[in-house]
Amino acid sequence: MNEPGRQGPPARQSWVDWLERRVNLSEIFSFITHFGLVYTPVDTQKPVREVLRDVAAESVPRYAHGARVLGLLAAILFGLQIVTGVLLAYYYRPTPEAAFESTRTIVRDLPGGWFIHQMHAWGSWLLVAVIVLRLLRLFWDGLYRAPREVLWWCAVAMTWVVLQSDFTGRLLTWDSHTYWSTVRGLEVVWAIPLAGPVLAFLLGGRTVNEDVLIRFYVLHLMVLPAFYAGFLYFTFATLRRVGLSQTGPARDERTIHYREHLYSMTMLTVGLFAILVTLATLLPLRFHGAADPYVTPGGVRPPWYMLATYVLLQRLPLPWLSGFVLLVASVAVLLLPLWLHGDETRERRLRIRLAGAGVLLVWLVLSVLGALLERR
Amino acid sequence: MKTTLAFLLFAAAATAAHAQTGTPAGPAPVTAASGRCGVCHPAERVQFERSRHAPEGVRCVSCHGGDDRSLDAGAAHGARFRGRPARQDIPRLCATCHADEAQMRPYNLPVDQYALYQTSGHGQRLARGDRQVAVCSDCHGAHEILTSRDPASSVYPLNIPQTCGRCHGGPAGPGARRRSDVLKLYRSSVHARALFEQGNLRSPTCVSCHGVHGASPPNIGDIDKVCGQCHTADRRYYTSGGHAVARGGNRPECAACHEAHGVQAARPERLASSCVLCHEGDARRLDLGRRLWTDYRTAADEVDKAAALVAKADAIPIQTEDYHARIEEARTYLREALPAAHSVQPEVVASFTTRARAVGQEVQKEIQGKLANLRQHRYVLVAFWFYVLLTLFVLKRFRDQAARNR
Repeated sequence: MNEPGRQGPPARQSWVDWLERRVNLSEIFSFITHFGLVYTPVDTQKPVREVLRDVAAESVPRYAHGARVLGLLAAILFGLQIVTGVLLAYYYRPTPEAAFESTRTIVRDLPGGWFIHQMHAWGSWLLVAVIVLRLLRLFWDGLYRAPREVLWWCAVAMTWVVLQSDFTGRLLTWDSHTYWSTVRGLEVVWAIPLAGPVLAFLLGGRTVNEDVLIRFYVLHLMVLPAFYAGFLYFTFATLRRVGLSQTGPARDERTIHYREHLYSMTMLTVGLFAILVTLATLLPLRFHGAADPYVTPGGVRPPWYMLATYVLLQRLPLPWLSGFVLLVASVAVLLLPLWLHGDETRERRLRIRLAGAGVLLVWLVLSVLGALLERR
Repeated sequence: MKTTLAFLLFAAAATAAHAQTGTPAGPAPVTAASGRCGVCHPAERVQFERSRHAPEGVRCVSCHGGDDRSLDAGAAHGARFRGRPARQDIPRLCATCHADEAQMRPYNLPVDQYALYQTSGHGQRLARGDRQVAVCSDCHGAHEILTSRDPASSVYPLNIPQTCGRCHGGPAGPGARRRSDVLKLYRSSVHARALFEQGNLRSPTCVSCHGVHGASPPNIGDIDKVCGQCHTADRRYYTSGGHAVARGGNRPECAACHEAHGVQAARPERLASSCVLCHEGDARRLDLGRRLWTDYRTAADEVDKAAALVAKADAIPIQTEDYHARIEEARTYLREALPAAHSVQPEVVASFTTRARAVGQEVQKEIQGKLANLRQHRYVLVAFWFYVLLTLFVLKRFRDQAARNR
């Protein structure tokens, strides 16, 4: 093997060797370890072939296994969303006049446009589902305890970012149903004490118009993905310090080679892609026509994750109370590790699980009520 | 330069002077049009000063005679004092100005009202000595006369039904001429709903059909002409059809099916049910009506089905601009088919309904074809899953191999 930087004989060399002498490929490769595709740090002094060989033979925990898969899926789906999202952004125009037209052009007139659009739409559904399930799983297994508090905070923050991405992305099509769904959703947001008026100011006012659209566009395309990537990085960096969770039976905790993990990841990606393709083809999301700010279609609800607070907003005598409930709930979830430190006894764990299940049940009941709510 | 400045100054001064001496805003004249009559007749003075006449040089004495400069009742009611004009004299009195072309020309007002009035039912009865009929002041008021464009005027379109209804509208009232429910019928009509609920001032009121100053009921045989002023297409088909050429006094006109004062919105299904009003027991003619309705309904159903399919295609979405245009074309045929039904000739109606039905069916067929093309995605999906499973199988083999080599 040639040492980097040394002038070797011209014959019998592949282009990788040539490139190796010009660029530190191992250094470039090491970059992806930040995002968890490779679990361990790599030795950037070694040539890239050697690094790859080392990495493939690396002993790693069975990361793509059991409930841990949810974290992986959250990363893979994010990648898929970026790819389809960038393709959509080539044709999308973020103004009220052009938003619906350009979306319809993508779906109707561009070859394969419908596929990209539906993949992105269903991808967001799956990403929200995965990220919420992951949060529930972390709670159920008590993975907010020391030394994993930062992981829990990252998971909560990623849930917030994903829900906001979903919420901002809905508006971009400027379809009558998603537009009014956003209007209803924002009513919930405005009701948050203190934060609501500030958010209303930052988002361009309480009327959903071109100002709000361009802000949602910037949030959806730049700010929120950047935050998500940042939290993803934070998660993997933390995992390298505190190790993977040890919750399953002992036999699942044996280590495997990274090569096997890579195959599992590929299978996961292929399977996910196939599921998305199937959903996009068999259950494409429908269009209802361009939004008209002066005509409200019947039966419009905010997105499902806002229904519980929506029903409180609509039915409680004090509008700010629902926003207060939302605020308290989110802060409480975030601060869970600080509350629940202490010795882990079997009885205590059961009590916490029951309390969590109770809260979830109340939330589910409120959501169902919100879905059935007739607006006053 | 100096000249220009001087000119500008002069122009500014002239404008200012004009602004000072110009007539003040509003109709109120500098001196009261009622003269000194208002000292003893304050109520009449207030009404008159509000009227359209007051700012135009018409004075109390123009109609009542006497002297409006005197405060002495004897002198004021002295020479050529007419007092309250007699009812039968009012039309001629108003006509002294309103039939005078020279006086009316500056206002661009017609001068034929008096001539028309004399031809009207009201005018002819008055000539025969009937004092109970309407004269000018019954509709326009006496002292507070406003233009017909003023919403407060009794002859503003929204107020006309009530003005005519004072005499013709019901059983009560000292001046009631005829015990009739025409006002009630009119208020229930589609015309009244357009007038009062939608504020459509072009919607017909009493005077649109009966005439304004020459008011009289339309003659038998003229009703289609009256309705045809607005409903031109309906009249065109009606006059070409069997009903219009019927001989004798039993020729059915518009009101035979649609009512006269209580005319309701035309509903296509009445094509099937109206014939029985005259042709009870005449199976051939009743069948004809039902056929008109069936033709129309089947065509309308096809167009509705096509429109529903277009909406479905829009939700996917697939390209439908052309279909929207064709649906609109089909609906235009349907709209034309309804006036055409007034010809009571099935072949005339069918010439529209057949086209509407054909367009509707064509659009349905083409969109069904496109939807069927989309359904072919499912077959591709089967092949896709075959390759997915194959890939997963191969990957699993590799993984197992890697595990064995560990």
